[in-house]
Parts: sequence; C-alpha cells; structure tokens
Amino acid sequence: MAKNKISFKLKSKLSELDTLCQHLERFGQSIGLSPKCIFEANLALDELFTNIISYGFNDNKVHTIEVTISHKNNKLIFNIEDDGMPFNPTEADTPDLECTIEECKIGGLGIHLAKNLMDEVCYQRCKEKNILTLKKNVKEAEPAKKRVKG
Amino acid sequence: MEIIEESQSGVNIFKLNGRLDSNTSQGFEKKIFQAIDDGSKSMLIDFKDLEYISSAGLRVILKATKALKREEGKMMLCDMQDYVKEVFEIAGFDSFLTIVGTMDDALQAF
Repeated sequence: MAKNKISFKLKSKLSELDTLCQHLERFGQSIGLSPKCIFEANLALDELFTNIISYGFNDNKVHTIEVTISHKNNKLIFNIEDDGMPFNPTEADTPDLECTIEECKIGGLGIHLAKNLMDEVCYQRCKEKNILTLKKNVKEAEPAKKRVKG
Repeated sequence: MEIIEESQSGVNIFKLNGRLDSNTSQGFEKKIFQAIDDGSKSMLIDFKDLEYISSAGLRVILKATKALKREEGKMMLCDMQDYVKEVFEIAGFDSFLTIVGTMDDALQAF
C-alpha cells in the first residue's frame, strides 16, 4: 500500500521550489492523484513557500521550512511550519479582481491563488513558529487522463 | 525552463517549455522585455509545452502586456492546458488578456 504521509524540510531558497515539486509529484503519483490535483497542490504550496522566504525573514541566515503532507478519507492535509516573523496569510487582503489591466496589481495574488486552490486554510502562531494547515478535498483516485485539446 | 523565440509574419512568438515560477520568471522577463525594447509590437506566447505557472509568471505576463499596450502593441496567449488557464481565471487575468485556442487562431487575429 502507498504511504499516506510524507514529511520533508526545505531551505529558505527559491531553488527549493524544485525540491517541493519533486516531493509532491512522487507522493501524488504514489497515491493516484490526478495531474490537475498535483498541479493545484504544487501551486498553493509554491505561493505560500515563496511568500515565507521572500518576506518572512529579516536576517541573512538560511532557515528551514518543514512540510508534512498526508492523505486520508479523500482529503489532503498540508502542514507548513517556519520560524519567520509572524504572518497570517488568511488575513491578507484579496486583490481587486474586477480591475482593468491598467489598475491591476500583482500584490497578494499568490495568497489569493493558494486560498482558492485549497478548501481550508488555517493559521496558528505557536512557539515562535508560523503554522499553516491547508486542506484539499480530492476525489477517489482515478487513472491519469491524457490531455484533451479543446 | 526553455524559451524558444521565433518570428512569423511579423509576430514575435515565445514558446515556453517547462515551469514558469519564481526561479525561472526573471529569465523570461529579460527575454520578453528585450524584444519590446527592440521594437516588437506583436507578441504571442505559446503555452503548449508549459507544465506549470505561478504568480511570478503571471506578474511577468502582466508587466509585458502593460508595456506593450503603452507602445500600442498587442499581446496574445495561446494553447494553454486547462489547469494553466484556470490559474489565469482565478487571478482574474482572463478578463483583460487575450487567450485563444491554437497558434493559428492567434496568428490570424493579429
């Protein structure tokens, strides 16, 4: 049977986005997630991770971000812990999506994407750490579909 | 990520292959702004082989489209996988970017 939980550590470097992707793809494929679901989970975690390492630390040290992913009862649960400055993404402003191209600003977009791709996002500050818990409902595992041009 | 630049009927085509994220978006930004500086007015980004895009990639496309608009140029995007298109929709970018099905559709629309 496929393992239903993985944990890994990422350094606070953008190059770790590739490591994140590799872990997610391997885990997602082992439990039979669709490519679309792996993509969405990857994007949400990418945005939150990129946000943490871009704004979370005000020293030049390399920090460690811990990620745990588990799969149970058709639900994916992601846990992201960092020792950066307190930041609660669930309280971040939603960008104005009705704007014209001239008015459109990119700030806050990453968090907006992450919130939309997940079914639940919870934040806790505990023992000097930011702890994010994300939940995503997934359908029963189905075989990977080939891309259909539309 | 690999970026292939081509020119067809006066349209600068950027074919993206791989992952457009915070790691790779700077390289893409350089290439696309080099073309705008060189006077390109018609641009097409082909997403056929793009597996992944994050907000860092959206940012570059937004910035380039704005710059091109100021020069009275035109930007089109084509051949996106469904889940890539969904990212543009969640971001609300599909309301002001021109996203079409195939490269032929795009080239005819310039």
